[in-house]
Amino acid sequence: MTNTLHRRGTPEGLQEDFIVFALTAKGHNRKDAAPKIKKFIELALKHNPNSISSSSFYSYETGTDWSKVYDGVVDNSHAAANFSDLRSVKNFISVLKEADLGICINVSGLLEQVRQCCSEVGISRHSVEHSLGIIGKRDMLPNNQVLELNTMCGHGMVSFNLIAKVIEHVKLGKIDVKKGALLLAKPCMCGAFNTVRAAKLLDMARDSF
Amino acid sequence: MKVDTSKCVGCGNCVPVCTMGVISVRDKKSYINQDECVECGACERFLINKKEPPALVRIARCILGALKLGYQAPLDACPTGALYQPDIEWPRSVRRSFSDPTVPHESTGIRGRGTDEIKTNDVTGRLESGEVGLVVEYGRPGIGARFKDLEKMSKALAVQNVEFEIDNPVTQLMSDKSTGEIVPDVLDEKVMSAIIELRTSIENVPAVLQEITRVAEDCPTVCSFGIATRCTENGDVAYEQLVKELGFTMSLNGKTNLGLGKRSEEAAQ
Repeated sequence: MTNTLHRRGTPEGLQEDFIVFALTAKGHNRKDAAPKIKKFIELALKHNPNSISSSSFYSYETGTDWSKVYDGVVDNSHAAANFSDLRSVKNFISVLKEADLGICINVSGLLEQVRQCCSEVGISRHSVEHSLGIIGKRDMLPNNQVLELNTMCGHGMVSFNLIAKVIEHVKLGKIDVKKGALLLAKPCMCGAFNTVRAAKLLDMARDSF
Repeated sequence: MKVDTSKCVGCGNCVPVCTMGVISVRDKKSYINQDECVECGACERFLINKKEPPALVRIARCILGALKLGYQAPLDACPTGALYQPDIEWPRSVRRSFSDPTVPHESTGIRGRGTDEIKTNDVTGRLESGEVGLVVEYGRPGIGARFKDLEKMSKALAVQNVEFEIDNPVTQLMSDKSTGEIVPDVLDEKVMSAIIELRTSIENVPAVLQEITRVAEDCPTVCSFGIATRCTENGDVAYEQLVKELGFTMSLNGKTNLGLGKRSEEAAQ
């Protein structure tokens, strides 16, 4: 599951794009994990997330009513909370450490900044993963703006053409960037798509396409 | 994915949604190139079925067209619900399990294209100190890949002293893990993307990375690759210097396992 490993973006853009995951491993810490994952969601909601998702309930259509995500959690669910600022991530990590849930917690984002957060709350990171980039037929790829939006859904469900269409609608004034970002988030089934960052990217694309 | 042509009114809303760009409008009906469709289901899920009567929508489109007024359904709507997912049989079924994140793999019962990699390493110990995990994904982002192309990579890597991750769905499709050969039935099947996951020693990283870049150079799609390990006690990454010296650029962003997981009684049992 490399659904957030290859997110593209400038360092400035990635500074506003962090995902905190909770998950468990079968045979290790999955049994009776549902209440712990629900606790993760409860704690995340206190730290100003852009969105909350779980593998047991898909779709951004809940708006800000996250009860469906919460209620759908079962022992083998993954949960994710998407943030735009590092301070919230750090505070969230701190309360997760305090809560000692025993489930596996991962953060996807700028590695050095996450390491710094860990250090400040007294955690030595356990494992890390880097992307080494994209090779092969790179001439088949679209421009960076489209790629930055596309790679926010690691399963690749947000098509290049949909991104181009939404940018076109934004440029024509048919929809605003917020609505455009929500439309782009809709095909993403894992909740990793950051709608706040997407709205900013659409805003920039409106002027440069 | 299929189109019910008795319902389709040719509005074209499904065209941009297609992750592979293989839906077009022909003779005023949507047409899906079945050889290129990866069965990801994104079109059907994204488009709200408005359940409008096809005849009525066609008349409305004709009248509005004659008046030089365009017919514009909302971007995320199919006015008549013309798309449907038929039952899919082996080997085409691998397209769906590798491309639709809501559908579990028949082999592993797990959804998605890979495994938990390092995300549960704090409780599974899958990667120990001195070991490195590598992920090689064909087809991503947005291009798609066929198993016959991926097999060239798996065969090349199989002889590089690596251990393929057993729970990975690509490994499950290998007829021989020692050679990296993939079952012939699926070689022509196209998927959104597929990931080879392997483990090797840190000393072997130069040879494996060299092989990945050599094989990917000739592949007809794109290849995203990554590297993972367990950190040292003070949080350092053992491969960092080595990978830089080899000339690879490591991403500024990535995944961090915080190490807060704990093995429960379940593990002892």
